[in-house]
Amino acid sequence: MGFLSINLQILFSGLAVGAVYSLVALGFVLIIRATNVVNFAQGDFAMLGAFAMMTMLTALSLPYWLSFLLALAAMTVFGVLFNYGVYYPLRNRSFLPVIISTLGASIFMQNTVLAIFGPQAQPLEKVFKASGFEVGGVFLDSQYLVILAVAVLAVAFQYFLFERTLLGKKLQATSQDKDMARLLGIPVAWMIAITFIYSATLGGLAGILVGPVLFVSIGMGSVIALKAFSATIIGGFGDVAGAIVGGLLLGVVENFAGAYISVAYKDAFAFLLLFLFLLIRPQGIFGEKISEKA
Amino acid sequence: MFGKIAVSWVALALAAVSINANAADPVRIGLVSEITGPNAEAGANTVNGAKLAVEEVNKAGGVLGSPLELKIEDNQSTNPGSVLAVSKLGSEGNIAALIAPVRSTQVQATAPTIAKLGLPTMIGGSDYGLTHSGHAWLFRARPNDAYSAKVIVDYGVNTLKKKKWAIIFSTDTFGTGGKNMLVDELKALGITPVLLQGYTNNTQDFTPVVLAVKQSGADIVSSYTPFSTDAAILATQLRQLGVNLPWIGSATLASDSTIRLAKEALHDTYSVSDFFADASPESQAYAKKYKQTFGRDADFYSSWAYDAVHILALAMNRAKSTKPDAVRKEILAIRGHKGAEGIYNFDKNGDGLHGYNIVKNEKGKIVFIKHTAFTPKE
Repeated sequence: MGFLSINLQILFSGLAVGAVYSLVALGFVLIIRATNVVNFAQGDFAMLGAFAMMTMLTALSLPYWLSFLLALAAMTVFGVLFNYGVYYPLRNRSFLPVIISTLGASIFMQNTVLAIFGPQAQPLEKVFKASGFEVGGVFLDSQYLVILAVAVLAVAFQYFLFERTLLGKKLQATSQDKDMARLLGIPVAWMIAITFIYSATLGGLAGILVGPVLFVSIGMGSVIALKAFSATIIGGFGDVAGAIVGGLLLGVVENFAGAYISVAYKDAFAFLLLFLFLLIRPQGIFGEKISEKA
Repeated sequence: MFGKIAVSWVALALAAVSINANAADPVRIGLVSEITGPNAEAGANTVNGAKLAVEEVNKAGGVLGSPLELKIEDNQSTNPGSVLAVSKLGSEGNIAALIAPVRSTQVQATAPTIAKLGLPTMIGGSDYGLTHSGHAWLFRARPNDAYSAKVIVDYGVNTLKKKKWAIIFSTDTFGTGGKNMLVDELKALGITPVLLQGYTNNTQDFTPVVLAVKQSGADIVSSYTPFSTDAAILATQLRQLGVNLPWIGSATLASDSTIRLAKEALHDTYSVSDFFADASPESQAYAKKYKQTFGRDADFYSSWAYDAVHILALAMNRAKSTKPDAVRKEILAIRGHKGAEGIYNFDKNGDGLHGYNIVKNEKGKIVFIKHTAFTPKE
């Protein structure tokens, strides 16, 4: 393989893995902005989405696109349950009880899935039957291409939602200052519910996309979530663009470090990057949005 | 006053009941398994195998006239979880023996705790060092990786005639130990591997590994990959990036879960396998019973635990006691015990099996190629 094609190959798979981190990181960021809380069950949303998809496809034998839509719908419903079961009862407490509540939710979700589906890792159908194709010596995995395309679409949708719609402005207002938003007549509790629903659906989407590559297993979410959380910090804690860039950067850096320095220490490089950012630029690439309370 | 009398009668009655209960007190074996976490599938198979054996032991009269019972603890597929599980079992005080997890890294983590407890422990981890570091209480119900490496190298060099070896290995105890064994065996034949490529468990993307293999000019790939998900992703990406070299891997490559996940990517690959359903009448009977009871194919995750329970029961019955020292002596004295994994002849280090099968994945079906056995050094 030529020098260029080797590096393009590493870049491509790094971007694809990074895109998965980004999708999960987006979910983190949205919830952080709306509620000031890190949702430790974010990775498990991906796991649930993948299992929902698998159930529709194999147990109910539905066609792919129908299964996809139903699985996302199921995640939307789950987002509602999560909001009202995990966050809402503790909404007036400090952030710590809520974080612990999400931790508990994560354990509950994983073990419920274990009890229903058993511990076997399962394969999941890819979007396209073709494994992928080769261009100039670089193999482009079809699922990786889908992941990248969907990540771009998700970012575009998110931008449109937040910057160009009234709902998006209301969500932004809620995340910047809940009390002020309330005073302005914005239904804060409902805005937060929408945030959780959106995050859960986004997380589920990430799981459906990455399931064929990483296989559907109970622990699949935890593996991604830690890296996604690091991506959030690298990109700027609470910044949406930061989550995307942080995720992609993390994916690419760890792949190149793996290829050129040591594959065995690939994970170490991901966290080394985080460490360096915390040391040199703790506010992340795009900086933390700080709200001043008068 | 009547209250006090009533209480003392109740106490006497309870004491009488418990004295009687002692006569039929079960003999308990603690089983540490991966019930939750990424390896929950393998863990479930281990528990199934053990349960099958317990049923058989009890049907045949139990241990020393008492029923045999399993006390199962979950280690969450982690090392700290394993240490906690062993400590929990040890602190209960009425455990006669232990069955440790199948992961070498977890066995290694729990070894000091087991040494303190002084309980005979059957292990399924195949890292050579586990029975060669002076530990008195670890007994292995699978052949160790010194043998798997010998068999891999023997087949790859002498039968497939390949001299440019790429070794892909997990950086945990199992993978690193296996890699070291392979390097030693190749060295003995005058061969230096062209690539030693480690990776951490639960790696999401193996592109750098595959590219390294491509660039190394290797003509054969060998691997020690403990987790099915990693092995399946590796296989898929190797084939996607055009690496179609002959591949001889560790036992996970032939396990039911890996084959199901990797599908065509693992066709025409070889692996070492300690358990093979058609290898002997005992393994056939076991495989049949397992399939009937649990609806799944048996693999080495369950067969070693099945053998482990039978070996412990046998040793305790022969020792006519559950005292650790007596049981230990009897385990080491076992010769010619026919288990599902093979015929057990324990050497002084605590290794019971001394050979491996080479099997091939032919379009998804595991086919037996050959068995290589070694005489244990006494």
